[in-house]
Order: sequence, then structure tokens, then C-alpha cells
Amino acid sequence: MMKTTTITFLLAGILAVSANAVAQDKATAHEHDHSGHSMNPAQTDNEKQQTEDHGDHDHSGHDHSDHDISAEQHADHSAHATSSQSAEHGDGHHHHHMDHDHIMDHEGTMIMGQNLDKLPSSCKSISEEVEITVRAGRKYAAKFPGTAFAFDQQQWNVKPCSKVTWHFVNEDNIRHQFMMHGLPKYLYKYGMFHLEVTGPKTVTGTIIVPGSDDTFLVHCDISHHMEKGMKAQLVVGKGAENIPSIPGVTPYNINDKYEAENLPKVSDKAEQSAMVRQITAFTNNNFQNYGMMLIGALIGLLCLPLFNKLPFRKKKTG
Amino acid sequence: MPIHFFLALLTFSMLSPAAVQASLKLPETVKVDPAALTAEPMCDPKISPAWREAQEIEGVKIAASPGCSPDNPAWIAAAVKGTNHISMDTLMKTGLSPDAIIKTDDLDGDGDPDRIIIKLEIMELNGKSPDFPGLVPTFDIAPGVQPGAWVFAPKTSGMSTENFESVRANPLLRLPSPVIRVEVGDIVQIVLENTHYFPHSIHLHGVDHPFTHGNHAGQDGVPQTSEVELMPGGRRVYEFQARQPGTMFYHCHVQTHTHLAMGLAGMIVIEENRPNNWLQTLNIGAGHVRHSSVAVRENFDQEYDLHYHAMDKELSDITQKYNDPRLIARDMNQRYDITDSTEDYYTLNGLSYPYTLRESLIIVEPDQKIKLRLLNSGGESIAVHTHGHHATITHYDGVEHNPVAQIMRDVFDMAPAQRLDLKLETVNDGKHSYGEGDWLFHDHREKGITTNGMAEGGSMSSIVYKSYLNGSGLPKVSHFGIDLNKYFTKEYYERRLPVWQDLDEWSSLGSPGEQTGLSAQTQTSLLNGAIGLLIGLVIYLIFAKREQIIQRTIAAVSRLKGAKGSNQK
Repeated sequence: MMKTTTITFLLAGILAVSANAVAQDKATAHEHDHSGHSMNPAQTDNEKQQTEDHGDHDHSGHDHSDHDISAEQHADHSAHATSSQSAEHGDGHHHHHMDHDHIMDHEGTMIMGQNLDKLPSSCKSISEEVEITVRAGRKYAAKFPGTAFAFDQQQWNVKPCSKVTWHFVNEDNIRHQFMMHGLPKYLYKYGMFHLEVTGPKTVTGTIIVPGSDDTFLVHCDISHHMEKGMKAQLVVGKGAENIPSIPGVTPYNINDKYEAENLPKVSDKAEQSAMVRQITAFTNNNFQNYGMMLIGALIGLLCLPLFNKLPFRKKKTG
Repeated sequence: MPIHFFLALLTFSMLSPAAVQASLKLPETVKVDPAALTAEPMCDPKISPAWREAQEIEGVKIAASPGCSPDNPAWIAAAVKGTNHISMDTLMKTGLSPDAIIKTDDLDGDGDPDRIIIKLEIMELNGKSPDFPGLVPTFDIAPGVQPGAWVFAPKTSGMSTENFESVRANPLLRLPSPVIRVEVGDIVQIVLENTHYFPHSIHLHGVDHPFTHGNHAGQDGVPQTSEVELMPGGRRVYEFQARQPGTMFYHCHVQTHTHLAMGLAGMIVIEENRPNNWLQTLNIGAGHVRHSSVAVRENFDQEYDLHYHAMDKELSDITQKYNDPRLIARDMNQRYDITDSTEDYYTLNGLSYPYTLRESLIIVEPDQKIKLRLLNSGGESIAVHTHGHHATITHYDGVEHNPVAQIMRDVFDMAPAQRLDLKLETVNDGKHSYGEGDWLFHDHREKGITTNGMAEGGSMSSIVYKSYLNGSGLPKVSHFGIDLNKYFTKEYYERRLPVWQDLDEWSSLGSPGEQTGLSAQTQTSLLNGAIGLLIGLVIYLIFAKREQIIQRTIAAVSRLKGAKGSNQK
């Protein structure tokens, strides 16, 4: 466990750099959003997460000097981008909702039900501090046929009473959520912990898991994202009952019926061409037939003497 | 041997009284007990009556909307100011994402913002779940009627359902796709964030938009001419600066023959440019416009967006049959044949009767001028009839008709994708209006007033004068002895409730019960069967006791002979 922790820490460190890079790569000239900046990716100091500093905005996302796509960005756009930004930032303070339970910025990046310091009643102390990076996107669904969206992993294991900091990296250009259910309600409103972000961007939030073995549902609640693959589970200690229909982990409760399709095949094409040949190569075929007939006749002629001998023998024996 | 005879006798005795009874009386009427119905309140209790009142939020004047389910006033405030110009408190009441509607830059200095960014997501309603046998997230177009559908939805924040326990859709996720309102000259960006599992696009039908945008970004929405399909997880910006006003149409142009009918279609209105023209950029759920444009307010007392749509059950069932997107794609793209299809659900502003009474009443007062914007996004022409009124057609497909040649009608035929602007005048002169009342308006193709063939349903609603409105914002009909409660039950649309059972006290046209006793035909056949059985028994007895019979016969014969003999002796 210690090893994995250090690895995740290392990964998180790399992320701090790469998340921004990813975000910048994905930003297209058309977007007016500030896709370049991420919400404190992989910040080890959790306290800092709540103080979003707009002076820190990485505006390099709008600088596409090394992208051919930047050719599309006409004057109108860049002007627009800056102006809309300044307009939002001008009165933007009200869009940073700050009760400790619900933090949201002007783009809808959201942290709900974060718990940095309240120990569950079943814990005497925090057992360990871990950081886990969760990536979300369409591309992670590629390895699960019949799904559309997925997380990069479908299960995470932590020790009871561990303090887990989640770095949720949304790699798509739409909204995704990292929503956990079933947490103790005296610590988490509705028993939920919820990260939400429009990608490409990262959001970070922390929870302290209960002291008993349990398994928690993690999903994206956008219509049919869970149904179409974006579902996982957090296993605390030895875990409890598995959650159904997690891609590659647990089977669906209700399965679709699959049947063989009449899809075109290369071999169909071969059959088709064979048929064509039969029609067009009519003379060729005839020649073959006549040739066989000729061979048959020859064999027949050769066999004639043998045939003649047969009656004699019969007479002799008779 | 006596047992057989006994059985035969018993059969006869049972048959004879039944025969007498059945021939005298037909089955009793069975009346459905109202307690057995899943009754819904006529007015949705989740919607606060306070929303009906005229009010001002964030400096936005919101007109009164006395119907039973008016729009959330916070939605209107956010749509007028932009989600970037309202308080966190108001924003939280909308459920919108903080970047759903961004309004900036008064470029022409006329007091209203001219750069408008509208973010739309694509949401599935009433789709299949691999976890439980129900549908998710649910949206009823009528009680218990939940067709699979897709919609463009304003960018939301948080869950797609009301809450974790509920499967009912977040109120922002609904049919129809929202009405978009922008001004001539606005630099508009519609940002499509494809949250759905299929590829999609937006085609701006009738809206003045350039074919390409920038150097190579096509933006006519057509995968065969201007752009590739926008894949799941992707984002695309459609930018335009319209030069002409009018009531227009936007829809997905990927596999249009299915995607449009699934619900990816909405109204888009380009308003005339006026100073201080803060527009209600989104009219979620269409219907009453509670913050009309300056130009509309100049000429009209009220404005309504009326979006007619139709859906085929065979098509909408596909998303409820499979969860695997590949199977849904196969059935929709390769197996579904629109040339063999029939439309089953007719909606007005996303709902069918009786829910149209909650949201899509045209509530009027005498001597008003009302602007109606109609869109037909169904696959067939419709013929909307306004009872009690003739309205004037002012615009066809967003273009004003020559004012001298404008005509009045009471049936408005609309081809698919067509838009009509109507001027409804509630002047009681026997032509414009016949006076106050609760006047139906409906598609006069009679199937248009059915829901999957069950009347009363479909896209019908009413033009209601305020004097005919009851306290909860529904048409006052009880004084005529009319009870609309039966329509607010799912059993009605499941075709399990006899439509006329309550028209008189003894339910003369209710449901006949099962046949008690036996029909004449059954009696005859049973009688024949019994006779057959009897004959059979006799034959069997003869056969089984043949030795005895023969012996007895011989004995009898010999006795006779003996008697003769003795006589002879």
C-alpha cells in the first residue's frame, strides 16, 4: 500500500504539469472558455483549493502559436474571449459559491461534500493520506465494447479511515461528474461527494472514508453516462457487496440480446465473383467438359480389350 | 353401474337452471372504482403558485402567467440577464450551469448585450437502464406516457434527475428543446456540447448564418455538405450574426429522419433590433413568453411560442429496448423504416393533453392582441383549428406576409418545418372572437387529438378567457358538470378505463362484466356433449356387460322356450 501511495503521489506531481498541458492541447480556437486553466490540479495543500486566485489564470490556453488551428482564430474571437472573460471576472465573485459544502466557479466547476478534517465516528485517526487521479472521457470507453463514456479505472481500493484526495481529470469537451454515493450522512450532505467539471480541465476534492469495510458507488449522473459506462466503485478495506454493471468488473443486471448480423464479408465477394466467372467463362467451361469427355472415351477404349476377355473366362469356368 | 347413471343425471340437473338464468339477463356493468386509479392532481403540486404572479427578479420584469404550471421565474431572469449577470442565489434556483448563457459587450451602444453565448447539451429522456427494469430519467408527456426521446437542453449543473432517490428528470431536461431568442445583429454562438452517446449536429433552419465559419469550420450542420458529425464528448460552436428577424427552427441534421423525431428540434426566434432589448434568450418548455422583446411589446399584449411535434412509438421504443449504443444505432439506422412508420404521439410544447392544460393554455382577456408563433416539427402537415376565433397570418417561415394581403383563417395548415406567426385578436365581433369562453384549439387531423390512438390526448389545448379560469389556473369546467379527473390517470392512457362510465348514474356505457352462467351456444354444445356421454355410457355398459346380457338373453329366451316347452308338454 505504501508503494502505491508513493506512486500516486508521483503521478499527481506529474499531473500538476500534464493536466495543464492536456488542457492546452485540447483547447480549440473556437472556445471562449478558459480551458487553459485548471482548478488547482494536484495541489497537495488542500487548504489552497478553496482560494481560487484569478490572477493565476493560465491564459496560455489561448495562445495557439504552435497550433495550425490558430489560423481560425480571427480578431473577432480573441477580442471576444478577453472581453467575456473580463466581464465575467468583473462580477465573478458571486459565482464562487462558498459554503464549505458547495464550491462552484463561473464555469460550473464544482466541489460538493468535501471533507478535509472531520473524522468519521468509526475512526480514531486518519490511517493514511492518498491521492488518486481519475481520468474521465470517451476514449476510456474504447476497451469496453458497447459503452460510450468511462473512467480510466473502474475500481479504487483504500484503507478504512484514509484521507483521499481525488484529482478528477475530465479529458472530454463536455461536462463529466465524479459522484460518490452512500457516505455517512452526518458528514456528507445526502451522503454524497461530488466533483463536476467541463473538460478539458481538472478539479480536486478530498474526503475521509469511514472506518468500516464498505463499497461506494462512483458515477457520472449526466443522463445515460452511467448507463453507458461511466460507473466505478470505491472499495474501502475489504469492501462490501459489489455494485452491478461496472464495465469489466461486475455484470449488468439486465442484459441486451445479441444476434448474428448479416454483415457483408470478403468471402461473400469471392462467391460472387466465382458466379460471375461461371457465366462469362462459358466456352472455357465447355472446353473443360469436352476434355473430360475425351479422356473418358480414351479410358474406355483402353479398357475394351479387358472387357473382351471377360466372356471367355466366364465360358471357361462355365 | 348406478354411479354412471348418477353422474349423467347430475350433469343434466346442473345444466338446466343455468340455461334458464343466462337466457334472461346479460352481464352486469362493472364500474371502475376511482380508488383503483393512479390519480394525479390536475395541477402539479411541485410548482409553486407564487411563480404565477407578475414579479421582478434581478431587475428583470416578469409578466404574470396565471396558468397552473408557469415557468420558473428564476429561469426567466437568468435567460434575460445571462447566467453571468445574476446572483448565486438566483443561479442556484435555476439549476443552470454558470456558463449556460453568457451575455457581454454592448457593441452598438444601444443598452443591451450583443455577444450571446448559449451552451446546449444533449440529453436522453425515458431511456433503458441496465440496472433496473424502469426508465431513466423519466419525462411524462401525459400521465404514464413516457416515450424515449432526446432533447437539446440548456447546460445544467448537477444531476440529471430531481435527486438521487428520484428517476424523474431534472425540470430543465424536458421536451421540447428550448426556444432560443436573439436579436438581429447579435453575435451569437450556440455551443453544442455533445453529452449524448450518439453523434449529432445543429442545423439553423431559416436563420441567417454563414455556410462556413472561419477558414474551414462548416456550420450548416449537415454531415454530407458542411461538417462531420460531432462525436460524443465533443464541442462545436455555431456562430452567426443574423440580418433578418423571424420565427425560425433549429434541429439536429445527423440521421435527421430519426434524430428530429426523437426531439432534437426547437424554435429559434430572431427578434428585431431595438434599444434596451434584453431578450429572454431561452424559453424553457416554450409556451407563454413572460419577458417579450421590445418590438413584440410595441404591438402585442402577449406572446406565446407553440411548438407542435410528433413522435413514432416504434422509433422511440428503440432506446427503451436496448442499452448498448451499437444496438440502438443498428435498429435506428438500419432497421427502422420511416417509410413504413406512423406517428403515435402528438405534442404541443413537449406535452400531450391533459398536461397541455397545465402549461400551454393561451390565457386571454377581451380586446387583447396576442402574438402566436407556431412551429410544426412533426413529419406530417398539421391543421390547427382555433375554436371561437379567426386569427391573422402575419408571417410565413419568419418572413412578413404583404400586410395588404394578409388573411384570416380558423384552420392553419402547416407543412413539416413550417413556421407561422399569427395575430390573435380577442375582439368580440363574431369574426375575430365569438366572445369569452374556454375555446379549444387543436390539430384538426383527428389523430392529432389522440395519444397513441387514445382520445382525448395529442396536442390539443385551449384559448381560455380569464373569466373561465379557476383558482389553480386550469379551465373552469365543473359548472358544466364536466370532470377532467379521469384524464389525469395513467390507466386512462393504458386504455383500461371505460371513457363513458361516469356519464350517468348506472354507467349505461360502462364496461360489461364477464359472462355469468352460460351462453345459449355453450349450453347447446354442453347438452349435446351430455347426450353423447349418455349414449357412450350405454354402449359401454352394453359392451362391458355383454356376457351377462347374452347369458340373460339366452336364459330369457330359454325360459321363454321352456315356457313354450312346458306349454307344449
